Order: sequence, then structure tokens, then C-alpha cells
Amino acid sequence: MAAPQAPTKPAKPGETSMPVIWAKQLGRLIGAPIGSVIFAFIIGAIIVLITGGDPIQAYQGLFCGGIGLFCTGDLYSSITPALEISSTIVFATPLIFTGLAVALPFRAGLFNIGAQGQLTMGAIAAAAVGIHYASWPGFILLPAVLIVGTLAGAAWGGIVGVLKAFTGAHEVVTTIMLNYIAAFFLYYLLRGGPMQLAGQPEISANVGAGAQLPHFLNGNGQLFGQPIGVYQAHTGILIAFAVAVLFYILLKRTALGYEIRAVGQNQRAARYAGISVKRTLIITMLIAGAFAGLAGGVEIAGLSHQLTIRYATDSTGFDAIAVALLGANAAIGIILAAFLFAALRVAGPVMQGNANVSQNLVDIIQAVILFSIAANFLRTFKIRLPALRQTPPGEDAPMVATTVTELEDTEPSEPAEVGDTA
Amino acid sequence: MQLIGQILHLLITPALWQTTLESGVLLLLPALGGVISERSGVVNIAMEGMMLTGAFAAVAVAEVTGNPWISTLVAIAAGGLMAVIHAVVSIRFRADQIISGVAINIFAFGITAFLNSKITNFQGFNPVKPSAQLPYLHIPILDKIPFFGPIFFDQNIIVYVGLFLLVAVQFMLFRTRLGLRIRAVGEHPQAADTAGINVYSIRYGSVIASGLLSGLAGAFLAIGITNVFNDGMTDGRGYIALAAMIFGKWTPIGSFVACLIFGLGTSIVANNSTLNVSRDLLSMLPYILTLVVLAGLVGKSIPPAADGQPYTPGSE
Repeated sequence: MAAPQAPTKPAKPGETSMPVIWAKQLGRLIGAPIGSVIFAFIIGAIIVLITGGDPIQAYQGLFCGGIGLFCTGDLYSSITPALEISSTIVFATPLIFTGLAVALPFRAGLFNIGAQGQLTMGAIAAAAVGIHYASWPGFILLPAVLIVGTLAGAAWGGIVGVLKAFTGAHEVVTTIMLNYIAAFFLYYLLRGGPMQLAGQPEISANVGAGAQLPHFLNGNGQLFGQPIGVYQAHTGILIAFAVAVLFYILLKRTALGYEIRAVGQNQRAARYAGISVKRTLIITMLIAGAFAGLAGGVEIAGLSHQLTIRYATDSTGFDAIAVALLGANAAIGIILAAFLFAALRVAGPVMQGNANVSQNLVDIIQAVILFSIAANFLRTFKIRLPALRQTPPGEDAPMVATTVTELEDTEPSEPAEVGDTA
Repeated sequence: MQLIGQILHLLITPALWQTTLESGVLLLLPALGGVISERSGVVNIAMEGMMLTGAFAAVAVAEVTGNPWISTLVAIAAGGLMAVIHAVVSIRFRADQIISGVAINIFAFGITAFLNSKITNFQGFNPVKPSAQLPYLHIPILDKIPFFGPIFFDQNIIVYVGLFLLVAVQFMLFRTRLGLRIRAVGEHPQAADTAGINVYSIRYGSVIASGLLSGLAGAFLAIGITNVFNDGMTDGRGYIALAAMIFGKWTPIGSFVACLIFGLGTSIVANNSTLNVSRDLLSMLPYILTLVVLAGLVGKSIPPAADGQPYTPGSE
């Protein structure tokens, strides 16, 4: 085991002016994520180039299809920018919830690959309530749907926490198993099981009108040449923002948040400090599961209004891992990263359809971002170029991340609040 | 009662056990890779991606050359190449090995699907021609033995290769100097280093071995069993192999037992036309069983002591 790294030293007062310190801290905070994204786009461009494509056309497609920029020229003038932005909001919504569901356990030193299964169970439970009590009025039914989805996700996450706390079963394997169990349970329900809509393959009935979250744009008219109904952005994104704020307050302003971070940094030290590690692990996974379960509930209430196979087959829970890592496990970072990956997912088909470059380029970019953040290539690169060095030598030592826990240790976002919590 | 009769009838069908062994060995190959890698102290959840890369390479080369052996060799090398990335990122750059593994799996899915659409112009590869498929070996006379004949003596050649590798890896890990070194590096790298063992080369070699074995499994799947390439066709088998490895307490023999249990699950689902139960509910069983095992009800699994920890010379 490597000796634990000293937390980043706070600059001595009087040595440098505060704005400069803040600027440096900000630079360290966002430098690695932004550098990783740029690095991944460069690798992506190289891959497009050597396979005989045009990277500029491809990336124009990603910008146009994701955020509605540069939709000009022969290739992309048929795209409606506002519609692409609306779709990006739709995709970002579950990614924020699940990104938070991965990030919170990361803070406690746990790796939650199970956001997918937790989302699936949340969607199943939410849909079951929304269908069964379809006649209830909205002010009761909508909260009921969201709360039940949240609880189902929490239960699914809680299993992981209990197994980890009492038997030491590794959460990576238990979450993978629970993902499969949730997926097959969903398949069973929709393939001849009790929730299948009679005579229809692999979908359920619709939830009641009262269970539906309102869209931002309503009506029967047209907007930018498209019927308003196709702009599916819904108010679930506001719930996602609220949960992100909750995540921030929980981590930074509550005793539980302090315990989670303490357990994540050093379990033994946390135990000596009187923190029940088992209890903290279980509560962390309960809350994480709740976040992901709420994602399922919000998707049912805001987007699909019915249960489909997609709730087990899409890649939301895995994209969430990239979201959490790119977002440095912090609320604002996760929101930004969720929008980035949502934009890429929405833009992929546009790029494929119009520039003939496979949308799987998006997966490649996502993987390279993960590699880059995990391996911290950029930091290593900086060491090799001493002329570029900005920070004192000690701080540039290669990251020694023995576990996710220690990866957290070296995170630059921590030192700011070590003082007020210790 | 009727269900019990159906189950009993299914259990005496040779086809059930034939498929069980085939699916079991398909999982065994990456599981053996996982055992070697993790015994040397490098967590490997990237077998899924390495296997998928192997499957893609096998089908692509089979389409061009029509030769199953060249295809298999290229598939093994392709799996190894993915393993090199995992090894460099997690050993040289000391990255978190689980994150690197997740990244490999996403990368493998992306790059194989990307190249698939590029090479075939979004049409997909043709099904593998029979002459380019890995052959089944029908051992004369022995394959006529009732019940056991079809199970043991009428299998794909890779099944026999897999069983041989099972014995070889078990022997290598626990009866040879190399195996001792691998285990030493995974249990206590500092002590191994002091004793003159090169921790890095052992770990690089072990991770790459896991890639080679996973690549072979990919070839077995793509040009031995399904004979077609689909994006993401490994469909979580690498993750199941990972679970089998833990289930088997990081030993080759134990992993094989676990692989057979998963294989039986697959086989029952494939042969369940006689059973009156939802195949989706049946498919859940192996995963539930794994959870039960992990919960410690069938004995605790303890990983190698330094599993997942990057080695820094001179530390502690």
C-alpha cells in the first residue's frame, strides 16, 4: 500500500492573493475533466480519419445533433436545432439521477455498477402504481408513482449495501447480478407476464393521466416546422436539479454526508472516530438506489408513460459511471457531464444518418474519457514537460490510486471543506 | 407435480448436458483468464470487452480468409491487445482497475460496432461459412455410448481445448514456480519484489494471458457456436465469467464448477420447450444463485490480498 498522500496543502495566507488561489483551484478542478474530453475528441477524430471519414463533418454532426449548433451546409440543414436541444434535455434527465446514484457510493468508496438495475426496478414499481391506480387524481397519483419508484430503487440498492456490510460481498459483482435479475424480471413482466398489454409485445398499458409529468411545451400547434408533441422535454429535469441540490447539501452540510466521506477516505479511521461503517455503507446504497429508482419513476411519468423493454436494455446505468467520473462526483459536475453525454447520445444518430459515420464513435469517445480520467494521462504528460509545470513539484507526483477510495483522496475538490468538517 | 415430472424428463436428455458443457467451457475460458489476472493482483472485469473483440476479429478474418484457425489466432491476439491496454493503464498508470475495466468494455463495444459498420457499410457481416467454422469432433465409437457419448465425445474442438487449459492452468498456478510467483505477486507484491520477482512483468503477463483466453472464448462464440457477429454479442458473458471466478474462489476448478452451473442455466432456458415456466424467470436463477453464494451462505470468497492494488516499488 502506498503511504496516504497528504491532502493538498492550503496556500499560506499572504503568499498569494485569494483570487489567484481560487483560479488555481478552479483550474485543477476542471482541468482534468476538460482535458480528458478534448483528448477523447482528438482520439475520436484520429479514428474517423484513419477509417476514411471526415472528422470535421462528423463533429459538426455532433454539435448540430446535440446542441443545435452549426446546423449549416448540405449535410445538416435539414436538422431542427430546437428539437435536438429538447431531446438532449430528455436524455440528460435520467443521466443526472443515475450519475448521482453512482457518485454518492463513490464518495463512500463503493462502486455502484447497479444504477441500471435500480432504475429498472424503480420504473417497474412506478408503472405498476400508475397503471393500477390510473383513476386517482394527479395530486395523489403523481407523488405516489415517484415515491414508489424511489422506494423500489432504494430497496434494490439496499440489498447491495446489506450484502457488502454484513458479508463483504463485492458490490461490483452483486450489482451486476442484480442488474440481470431486474432485467429478466422486467422481461418476464412484459413477455406473457402480468404487466404485458394484452396482444401487444413487450409493452405495458399506459399509466393514468394523473401520473404524467407535464412537458415544457404543450399544445397542438407547430414550432420550427415540427408538431409541438415531438418536443418531449419534460419537467422531470427540474426534479433532477432539485435532487442534485439535495445531493450537495447531504454531502457538504449534514453529519451523514461527513460520515460517507469519512468512510470513503479511510474506513479504519472512520471506525475509530466512532462512525458505524456498516450503517453508513447501507444508508449510502439505499440513497443511491433511491436516486436511480426515482430516475425510473420520472422516465415513466415524464417520457414513456408505459413500461417497455428499454428500461433494461438502454445504457443509462453504464453511461452514469462516465457521468459521475467526468463530473468529479460533484453535483454541478454531474449535471454538466450528463448534458454532455446526453448531447452525444442524441447527436450520434444524426451524425450517422447525415455524415455516414457510425454513431458508435460516441461509445469510443466515452471510453477514452474514462481511460483518461482513471489513468490521469494528462498529469503524467505534464510531468514529462517540466516547462509547463505550474504547481509545486510535490503536488504533481503520479497519482497512486489503490482503490476508488484513494482515488477520492487525491481529488482536488476535497481540501476546501476539510477545515470546517474535521 | 406435473412440473417435477417435466424437470426429471429434461434432466435425462443428453442435449441438455451437451449444451451445459459447451456453455460452461465458453464461460470457463474468460474465467480462467480472470483467475490468472486476479491471482497476480490485477482486478479484471474487462473479459467481456476482450471476448467481444475476439469475436469480432474472428468473424472479420473468417470472412476474408475462410480459415477457422487463422481467425482463431487473430481473435486470441485481438483479445490480448485489449488486455495490453488494460495492463498499461492499470499497471503503468496505476489507474483504478475497475474503472479501466469498465472503460475497456465500453471501448470494445464501441470500436467493434464502429468497425463493423465501417467495413460492411452498415450491412453487417455475412453468417460464417461452414468451412470457416470451428469444427465439432465426433470421436468414433465413444460417441455412440448411450447418454454420455453425445455429452463428452461429440463436442466442438474448443471444448476439449478448454478442458485441457483448465487442467493446465490449475497445474501451472499451484504446482509450478511460475504459479507460485503469480500468487506471491498477488498476495504480497512487496515481499515478492524483495525475493527478486519482477512484479511488473508477472502482472503484465498475467493480464495479457487473460486477454488471450478471452479472445479464444470470443472466437469459440462467434465462429464455433453462433456463427454470426452482432454488436455487443457477448451479452454479458464476460461478467458472468467474472462472477463464476469469484463463486469458484479464484481457483480454476472451482470456477469450472460455477461455469457449469451457469451453463446449466443457459441450457435449461435453451431446452425448456418441455417446461411450462417462463424462460425469463428461469434465466434469473443462476444470478440469484450467485447472489446467495456471495451472501456467504455457501462459504465465503476471499480475494488475493493485493487484488486491485497498484504496486509502487518502495512503498510500505
